[in-house]
Order: sequence, then structure tokens, then C-alpha cells
Amino acid sequence: MTSAITLDDVGIVLGGLRILEGISLDVRPGEFLVVVGASGSGKTTLLRLIAGLSRPTQGRILVGGEPVAGPSRKVAIVFQDYGRALLPWRTAAGNVALALESVGTPRAERADRVAALLAKVGLARHADKYPSQLSGGMQQRLQIARALAQGGWVLLMDEPFGALDALTRQGLQDEVLRIAAETGLTVVFITHDLEEALYLGDRVVLLGSHPGRIEQTAAVDLPRPRNQLGTREDPRFLALRRELFGHFAGHAA
Amino acid sequence: MSLALRSLGPALAVPAAALLAFELWFAATGRVSDTIAPPSQAFWRLAAGLADGSIVAMTVETLAATLAGLAVGGGLGLAAGSVLALTRRADMTARYVVEMLRAIPSIALLPLALLIFGFGYRMEIFVVAFATFWPVLILSHSAVLAVEPRLIDVSRMLGFGPLSTLSKIVLPAAAPRLATALRLASGIALVVAVTCEITANPQGLGNGLMRAQESLQPALMWAVLLWIGVIGYTANRALLAMERRLFAHRSDVDTSVAA
Amino acid sequence: MTTRDRHGLAAVPFGLAGLAVLLAAWWSVTALALVPRTFLPAPALAWAALVRGWTVGDLAGQTAQTVLRMLGGWLLASLAGVALGSLVGLSATARRYLGPSLAFMRALPASAVIPVAIAFAGLSPGMVLGVVAFGSLWPTLLSTVHGFATIDPRLRDVASALHMSNAAFVWKIGLPNALADILTGMRLSMTVALILSVTGEMLAAQQGLGQAILLAARSFRSADLFAGLILLGVIGIASTLVLAAVERRCLRWR
Repeated sequence: MTSAITLDDVGIVLGGLRILEGISLDVRPGEFLVVVGASGSGKTTLLRLIAGLSRPTQGRILVGGEPVAGPSRKVAIVFQDYGRALLPWRTAAGNVALALESVGTPRAERADRVAALLAKVGLARHADKYPSQLSGGMQQRLQIARALAQGGWVLLMDEPFGALDALTRQGLQDEVLRIAAETGLTVVFITHDLEEALYLGDRVVLLGSHPGRIEQTAAVDLPRPRNQLGTREDPRFLALRRELFGHFAGHAA
Repeated sequence: MSLALRSLGPALAVPAAALLAFELWFAATGRVSDTIAPPSQAFWRLAAGLADGSIVAMTVETLAATLAGLAVGGGLGLAAGSVLALTRRADMTARYVVEMLRAIPSIALLPLALLIFGFGYRMEIFVVAFATFWPVLILSHSAVLAVEPRLIDVSRMLGFGPLSTLSKIVLPAAAPRLATALRLASGIALVVAVTCEITANPQGLGNGLMRAQESLQPALMWAVLLWIGVIGYTANRALLAMERRLFAHRSDVDTSVAA
Repeated sequence: MTTRDRHGLAAVPFGLAGLAVLLAAWWSVTALALVPRTFLPAPALAWAALVRGWTVGDLAGQTAQTVLRMLGGWLLASLAGVALGSLVGLSATARRYLGPSLAFMRALPASAVIPVAIAFAGLSPGMVLGVVAFGSLWPTLLSTVHGFATIDPRLRDVASALHMSNAAFVWKIGLPNALADILTGMRLSMTVALILSVTGEMLAAQQGLGQAILLAARSFRSADLFAGLILLGVIGIASTLVLAAVERRCLRWR
């Protein structure tokens, strides 16, 4: 198996509107791929297609070499709107346990697994709190823990840090990079922030708008582990940013 | 809590003043009436009725019919409302039938219930069940429809089947609105039960009220009327408090506003 | 009902099919004699009773009596409810003193005041009208209070910036703001008014559909009983539809 995810000439028409067109893409196992696009470029739709939450009207999508027929447990997703994606009536531990219940983890093992996963995202001390008692950043960590609990090997992230303040955001970026490195997950990460894309990705895909199609793909050969100061000042980072920014700004306008 | 205590004064001031005025008027005129009694006599009669068990017995009869009817009508309404909200075809097919049947005033079924069941619990339960079925159906229908679509996405991603989705996602998500439906339906159930008893069924508080009027015992009549109000008001407050307590930690529920 | 807007026009054939299913079920239950005929007449018999009662009998007159009673009581309740409700709703002090008493009164089953009303006014048409008005007062009154109590403070700032008089504030800001709540309350009041009209007619032996179905049941004329039930359902639907249309018209700006 060479590709973790394959998109072959994928397009989708929703309500007579062409949202995505001619998207072809291969994601390597363990790759951290970031898709950047302005609002209206169909980024979220692209992610929903890979997740199996929507069906393409054209082309085909393979995950692990098999066509996507619907949601599958090997693919986990972290939604942007954490306030709506977490179960408000369950504690942090309960929300993580939900994913374990879905994969049929025996009851006896759940508590330990939940504790380990919460520790991994830095929420060990907040296991008994309800989502409403957690900050936005903590709620997003919780969603990540729940996605990890699912035990898949593809992690989709839909503008997960879009609603957070800059400082929280940087902390979570490093956290996600650390988790991806530790687990070897294949990650498809969506953002509208070019700098975030370059900081996180092995590869960055630029999505144009109306209809959404791939404008450019750039490999980001910056050393890992990355860090907020050094990486962002790296001449190669700045060069890539300058190069892609022209494209990006041209299409966003 | 201090806020609740401070609002108690103004809340009680108006009824207390009105009762006092009545009492003084009775004392001043020395009037004896078949229709109204001094408030003090009504309170005494209520206390006596509660102490000798006569009002307690009526209360038990009324509440038994209320709760049984609520259980039957509410349970069926909840099931029907959830099913309709989750299945599009059935929903479209049922819409006019629901609109038509729920337009029939519940109390109009009383003669029919009388015809089928005769006097007693069964006819009262039937009418209460019919009266609560429709509002619970409609409220649980909209409660299930209002479940956050993102949570359905989550459920699909985790690969839950229909039963797990219902028990783990849909019903807990709809629980606050379902609790509100229960509170409103319990109010309706009590009203309908008492109405059945006033109109036809020879048992319970409604019948006690009617007999007190017919036998020209105004103190007892006002005592029972007051007691019915106390039961309805207390039940509503208790259910409201329960809702707030149960859902206090939920960000998707506004528990600050009293209904 | 929420389903009304949910499926659009495509749902109409389904809705009609649903009614056909209901009718077919009713017919088969009677045709197979699953239920004694004294309880449930065949649809055709109920229809015949309806037609006969309307043309030869006095069903039309009784329907008119019930509708007039319902509308009269509801109108009184609406006028009093909006007037009183706006006074209470505009003043925080009045709400503090009267709010709890009003909530208590609403929890009181409206039919429970019937014995008291009989004690005062006897079994008269005026008594029934009074009970209908009293009982259907509360939904309108309380939702009017709510509508006036929830005026956005920013709108009060706007009013004082424009040097509006108190009367202008009530008329131009308070009332439009509360209109949605008032109309919802009036719709609930109408339902209560119909129920109490029927109850009052049964209890006080007043001419009307309530009395008609009670007499039909007592003499085991189930076809006449169902004819009455159908008419009451029609009154219920018609009043709801009319008020919903009024509501849509008045709240077009939303």
C-alpha cells in the first residue's frame, strides 16, 4: 500500500452549485497534509468527503486502498465547532468513553484508556468536568482525545483552532505535532491560515475558490521537531510563505 | 437564595392583603353566605380536611388518575413523536391526521369515555391520556428535530447503529426539551383530570369541589379550590426545579429563565 | 406544528394519504365489528348523522352557539389580557408583586372555578361566558407580561435618545416588541376557550355542541356523538388556521 488516502478526480455538486472540481490527491501513510483555502473554497466539504459523511458526485476516494462507502472507524474527525460536537451531558471522561463504547472496548479497560488519553492531551486533571466548564482550547483537546480513542489511523481536522486565541492556538499546534509524531497518524488538516499550514505540514495544498480546485501543492521540507520561534524565522519558511502568499492573496481577493 | 427570600415578601403581599381585606369585611358586616366564606374558615376547613383524611383521599384519587393518564398518554406521545421525527415518510403521512385529531377538545371525549368505560378511573385515565398525548407528541417531535446535527455526524463517525444513536445521542440531547414537555403535560393532565371529575366522574377533588358547592358549604368549596391550586403550582415548581438541577451543567440549555 | 414547514409541497400527497389511511382504519374496525357499534359508528353513519343533523336537525344552531360562546369569551379575555398584561409587564415593581400570584392563578385548573361560578351566578349563559373568559385570560395575560418584560434595554436607550413620551414608547416599541408573544398567547387562549365552552355547556345545560354530544352519549346515539366530535375538531382546526394566518400577516417583518 503506497497511499493512505487517494482522491481521483473528485468533484461534488450541491444544490446545483459546483463546490469541488477535479481534485486528485495522494496522501502518504504518516504524512501531515494541510489544505489551505479561503472561505467558500470547499475545504470543509473536502474533509466531509474523505470522512464519508458526504458522497462525491464525481470521481472516487480510497482510504487504505478501499473505496469510501460511508463513515468508518479507521477515520476520525475533529470538528471546528467543538461547542456543538461534544456531548454537553457527558463529562470529559464520558466524552472520550463514547468512542471506546463505539469500538466495543470492554468496560473494565475503559477507565484506564480514558485516563491515558486525557493525560496525553493534558486534561488529566479535568476528567470529571463537563464541556461547559472547559475553555475553548481544552474542549478542542478533548475532541482530539475522543478522536484518538476511536483507534483509527487517519485523523481529519477541520479548522480545529480557527475559533481560538493566538496563544492557545500555538500551544495546540505543537501538541498536535507531538501527537502526530508519537502515533504515526496520517493527518489531513484544514485551515485558512497560511502560516499555520506551513508550520504544521509536510505538504501544503492550496485550494482555489468557486469551484474549489487545487491551485498549487508545495512540499515543506522544514526540519522536525518544529518550534514556534525557530521554524517561523527559518529562511525556507519565509521563502515558502512569500511564494504561496502571492497565489493565496490573488485567489482570496 | 437570598434573592428568592427577598422576592417572597412582594410575592405574598398582594394575596395576603386581599385575604385580610375579605376577612375584615366579613368580621365587620357579620355576613353569612352560601357562596363565599371568610378566608380563615376556608383555611381551617382545609386543615381539618387534611387532618381527617377526607381531602387526602380525594387528592389520592385525582393524582392516581392524573399520573396514570400522563404515563399512558405521555409515553405513547413520546414514542410517536420520536418515531415521526426520525422517519421522514411517516412524518409526512401523519401530519394532517395529527392536526385533525389534536384539534378535538379533549373534554369532548368525556361523553364517549363515559359510554365506553362508565364511571371510574378508566374513563378519566382515557381522557387524560388523550389530552396529554398530542402536546407530548408535538413537543418530543420538535425536541428530536432540534438535536444538534453535528452530534449526529459524531455518531456516524463513531459507527453507532440506530439504537445506540437513539440511546446515546438523540434522547440525552433532547432530554431538556422532553423534561419541559413532561412539565407542561403534567399541568394539562391535572387540569383535565379535575375537569372530568367536576363534569362527570364521581371521585377525586373535582367531585369534592362540586359537592361542596351543591351542599352549600362555601368554606369547603374554597378550601378544595385553594388546595387544587397549591397542588398544580407545587408540581410545576418542583418539576421546574428538577429541570434546572438536572441540566445545570449543560451549555446547550438555558436554565436561567423561569417559564 | 413544526412539520408544516419541514417538507414543503411534496408532502401534501403523503398527508392526504395519511387521512385516507385513518378513514380506512376506522372503516375496517367497524366493518369487522372489532368495537361495539354503540361506541364506534361506521364512518358513513357518522357522516349521515352529521348531514341530517345539519340540514334537518339543530346541529348548525348548536355549532353557532358554541362558536359564539368561544369567540365571545376569547375576545373578552384577549382585551383584558393585553391591557392588564402590558401594565404589569411594563413595571418591574408590578411584576414583583403580581407575578407570583398570576403564576398561581394560571396553575389553577380553569374548570375548577366553575363550581364557584355556579355558586355566584347559577346555571346561566352569563356564568358560562364568564368562566370561558376567566379561563382563557391567563395564556394571553402571561405572555403579554413576558412580551413587555423582555424589551431590549437598548430600545429604551433609543426611546430616550429620541425623546419619546411614555405613551409613544408603549405604542411604537413595547407593543410591536410584545406582538409575537401576545399572538402566541391568544392562540393558546382560543384552545382553552373552546374547551371551556364545551365543558360549560355540558355542566350548565346550555345549548351547544357540548350539550349535544353529552345527550347523544346518554341515549347511546354514537353516530350523533361522532358528528359532534367532528364539528368540534373542525372548529378547532379552523380557529387555529385563522389565527396562524393573522400571526403570519402581523409578523411579516420578522
